[in-house]
Amino acid sequence: MSKVLMKGNEALGEAAVRAGCVHFFGYPITPQTEVPEYLVKRLREVGGTFVQAESEVASINMVMGAAGMGVRCMTSSSSPGISLMAEGMSYIAACELPCVVINMMRAGPGLGGILPAQSDYFQATRGHGHGDYQVIVLAPSSVQEAVDLTTLAFELSEKYRNPAMVCADGMIGQMMEPVEFPEEGAATPMPENDWSLGARDGRERRIVNSLYLSPEDLHRHNLKLKAKYDEIAANETRQEIYGTDDGYDVLVVAFGTMARICKTAIDEVRAEGLRVALFRPITLNPYPFGALRDAMDAIEGDGPVLDIEMSMGQMLYDVKLAAEGSRRIEFYGTAGGVVPSPDEVAEKIRGLMQGVQ
Amino acid sequence: MTTTQSAPPTVTSTERVIALVGGYGSGKTEVSVNLALHLRNHRLGVQIADLDVVNPYFRCREARTLMRRHGVRVVVPPGAQVYADLPIVLPEIAGMLHPPEGLVSILDVGGDDVGARVLSSFRPHLLDGGYELWQVVNARRPFSDSVAACLAMQDAIHSSSRLRVTGIVSNTHLMEETTEEIILEGVELARAVALAADVPLRMVAVMEDLADAPRIRTLPEPVLRLRRRMLPPWLTDRENAHDERATAARHIPMAKATPQRFGCGIGGTCHG
Repeated sequence: MSKVLMKGNEALGEAAVRAGCVHFFGYPITPQTEVPEYLVKRLREVGGTFVQAESEVASINMVMGAAGMGVRCMTSSSSPGISLMAEGMSYIAACELPCVVINMMRAGPGLGGILPAQSDYFQATRGHGHGDYQVIVLAPSSVQEAVDLTTLAFELSEKYRNPAMVCADGMIGQMMEPVEFPEEGAATPMPENDWSLGARDGRERRIVNSLYLSPEDLHRHNLKLKAKYDEIAANETRQEIYGTDDGYDVLVVAFGTMARICKTAIDEVRAEGLRVALFRPITLNPYPFGALRDAMDAIEGDGPVLDIEMSMGQMLYDVKLAAEGSRRIEFYGTAGGVVPSPDEVAEKIRGLMQGVQ
Repeated sequence: MTTTQSAPPTVTSTERVIALVGGYGSGKTEVSVNLALHLRNHRLGVQIADLDVVNPYFRCREARTLMRRHGVRVVVPPGAQVYADLPIVLPEIAGMLHPPEGLVSILDVGGDDVGARVLSSFRPHLLDGGYELWQVVNARRPFSDSVAACLAMQDAIHSSSRLRVTGIVSNTHLMEETTEEIILEGVELARAVALAADVPLRMVAVMEDLADAPRIRTLPEPVLRLRRRMLPPWLTDRENAHDERATAARHIPMAKATPQRFGCGIGGTCHG
């Protein structure tokens, strides 16, 4: 198939269709509204179901219902809407149902603003609803990667029977880039399973439930979930390392749009002879702690790590966990939809390098 | 095969109000901004209004500093409202719809029929004073890759704006992956759309690095040379670098890391 020019939000919608997801429940909010806008047109063509719910609370519960029926399904929103989905996400994770949730992050807190941000990192990676549950979180830094990670999100959510989130900042949703998609109709259907509801047809009764009155049963259920999250952490971390060819004195850590800005800045300072590399987590949960620690240990001398985010410092906690006190961690962050320019990042790196040399 | 050089786009003395409409993401804003600068460089007075009530990012208001520096009058919502995703239609717009000779008003309208609806409120002014309504077409966009799809979009725009499309702008591209062939495929489609709609193909918009390619240079249609102005944040338009927001951002204090101690069991075993 030839490449097309698409907005990130549209591309996410098409990626879902190509992944065999033809059931979408959502509610408009800037800067993700093009996801439902695209799907309302596109799902008609493929005989799918599009429901504009009355709120994000309704969307996520519709997703839970569809997922419980063994139907591949998705919802999308932006930060305040994702907050409203917290309860539903907890229920879906507790019931071990697969689904994909898109968060096109905007600036907060509160109603905040409509410009891009990365300040839902805590919310996404710490299981933003109640209880001991986790969500698989994937962070694209280009429109093509948003497509690829949406495909992966469906795969992982079904493999582990757990919600998977594609967590991007509004810039990824709003910008246009050339993309290509997996072939239409090539997705495998949801496999036969022993948990989804539907016509009983003589088989044993099934229940999708998150209520456990017996404390021992609920304890065992939590142990089972924890074992699953450990398995995900062991097998599913993904990251990109950039600019390590000839060694490096400073390691920049950033994800999503911010990582892309950092690459431009790193190219700029490397041309001046400064040796700087980038570590970009692609999975925010599970976080690639091991790979980041290895990248930190490969810094020459006692050079610092520079964590850069469009937030007041949220991934910073995970960067410090990876370092376990072994290295100096610096932070640079913006909020409100203010996006640092490559020049500002380059200036910050130059400042740090003065201390190194 | 002709060897004549394709001409830059021109407007007649009666074409004073030009509204750019078209499919979502077809490139109306990039064409509007570049057309405004092009006409200004040809010594016409130019004013541009950002009438995009659909898009939250990448609107022509982002290039307001650059355009103002070139003497283009830019009409955008005041103050912080410039960042809002609200359907703000300024009273100044009505005043732009009857420009005197020598002054051109460009209206950068939001995408699809939804974006074009804003024009219907100005219909009496536009019918009275005359208008050009140009449909921008990028054949590499979804729902825009066939004559039927482009005509369906045109019909939808007619219904919502209650105005007729009077010209086509070919703007087929694939960002930095654009090739001469891709542009020419788009020109073919745009010609077919223009023919079917019985309106002229007003111009072919081409990024400047491809505008001198042999088969582009010799196109019979006028060629608008584009410089990309709507840029993602990892690319900087240095000519527009003194944008109000960018300037403000440099004076905002950044968050600093505070030393903290962590004791935690992430990746460890469960203490159930």
